Amino acid sequence: MKLLSLELLKLKKKTRSWLGPILVFWLIMIAYPLTIEVSSESMEIGFFSVLWISILLSMMFATEDIFTEDYNDGSLEQTLINETSFAYQVGAKVLIHWLLIGIPISILSFIFSLGTTGDMVLSFLILPFAIMSSYIFLNLFVLGNALSLNKGSVLGAIITLPLTLPILIVLGKSITAIQLDINYLGFIFLLLGSLSIIIVSVPLIVSYIIRAHLE
Amino acid sequence: MIKKFIHQFASPKTYLFQVERAYKLILYFSIAVYIGSLIWGLLFTQEDFVQGNSYRIIYLHVPASFLSQSLYMSMAVASFVYLVWRVKLAAYLVISIAPIGAMTTFIALTSGSIWGIPTWGTWWQWDARITSTLILFIMYLGLISLHSSFSNYERADKLLSWLVIVGAINIPIIKKSVDWWSTLHQPASITLTNKPAIDPSMLYPLLGSIIGFFGIIISLVIISSKYQILLREKNKSWIKEYV
Amino acid sequence: MFDFAFNSFHEAIYMNGHGIYVWTVVAIVMICLIYFFMRYNLKIKKFKKKFNESD
Repeated sequence: MKLLSLELLKLKKKTRSWLGPILVFWLIMIAYPLTIEVSSESMEIGFFSVLWISILLSMMFATEDIFTEDYNDGSLEQTLINETSFAYQVGAKVLIHWLLIGIPISILSFIFSLGTTGDMVLSFLILPFAIMSSYIFLNLFVLGNALSLNKGSVLGAIITLPLTLPILIVLGKSITAIQLDINYLGFIFLLLGSLSIIIVSVPLIVSYIIRAHLE
Repeated sequence: MIKKFIHQFASPKTYLFQVERAYKLILYFSIAVYIGSLIWGLLFTQEDFVQGNSYRIIYLHVPASFLSQSLYMSMAVASFVYLVWRVKLAAYLVISIAPIGAMTTFIALTSGSIWGIPTWGTWWQWDARITSTLILFIMYLGLISLHSSFSNYERADKLLSWLVIVGAINIPIIKKSVDWWSTLHQPASITLTNKPAIDPSMLYPLLGSIIGFFGIIISLVIISSKYQILLREKNKSWIKEYV
Repeated sequence: MFDFAFNSFHEAIYMNGHGIYVWTVVAIVMICLIYFFMRYNLKIKKFKKKFNESD
């Protein structure tokens, strides 16, 4: 709990770090209707693709400097030699980022979906997908950031972007399944399964990677 | 005895001197098998009832596609060996295989695209197999760029190994994408559990081209790893003896 | 099993209009393989030359 409250405090202080990605998401979703003909059919066609990609980009932006400040001021090395497991600390960091950024974005996804499609049921079903996919993307981009710790976040994002593409494929298929009302629960469980593996493995792998950087 | 063999062979010096002897034999035999199978498949098998003569691209596309995934898995195994047992040779093999894996994936993508024109009427389709193979190609490029961005080789090896292991999840997705999703791409013709869905007159040259291409790629990996070992071990005294 | 599948050499090249696709892929594969072999052999040669010179 102490760890979580510390990470929460650190992130809350840096308004740009948590508000920025939410604003990026907001901007993309507002800009989307401006680029196409404003009829409900044409808006719905591309809406969900834009939604998932906006979530992806917002999470990429959210993890841009997740380790940079700590690496530059040496506190990353301090946390390594701390009593608490480094993997737990990474996991706590990711969790707090998700709570402050991923959850608001997921709620906004529901609102935008309701506004575009007018379908309450569909928009409610989007919520679990947005919640899980934002956490998965966050973890993957944290991994990328850890790999390119002092080389800039762009390299890390590019390296881990291919890992996010299967998730995008699943999200696309899940929307089709929801719209045709065929076994969308399977996709929810698939994402849940992927998330449970990622939640455990990524902080562990990130801790080893950062250790390799600092050795 | 096995442990002794692994420890001996895990030394870059032993590896280099041992493969020097085997390399030419593997290369020439593989070229003979590959060229022979290609000639057999391209010129001596009858045309397909549905696809006509364009099906002959199978003798080039399938080996490349199969190898692109196999090479990634071998990189994942080598990365695991390096991270757990700190075997230097495993790290050298990982970085040696990456460009060759990228090449085989490129061949699989381009040959598949060209095959798609007469067969599907389109050179590209965003279906599961093709998209996931494109993802694999981008991952190979990402691996190469990550390794080259670090001046400290040891750090680069560790980070690369971690990324390879994490990215290995993509391989079963590629393999099974044809079965899991309705896709334009045809299902696997050769599987471990079922009878081949391909006529024997076409199957044998295909198997020959897979074996031949496999051998050629092994030779490429050997020569690439030779270069990596020379580069990384250049300050060792035994390099003088080798060079 | 080993009957020539075409009536002439020209037919083997043309392949009922599919020859361009097939032979293009053959060319791409051969170019890639030859390029990589030459690249690594050249790199090793350069290394050996540099190593012997510095010796």
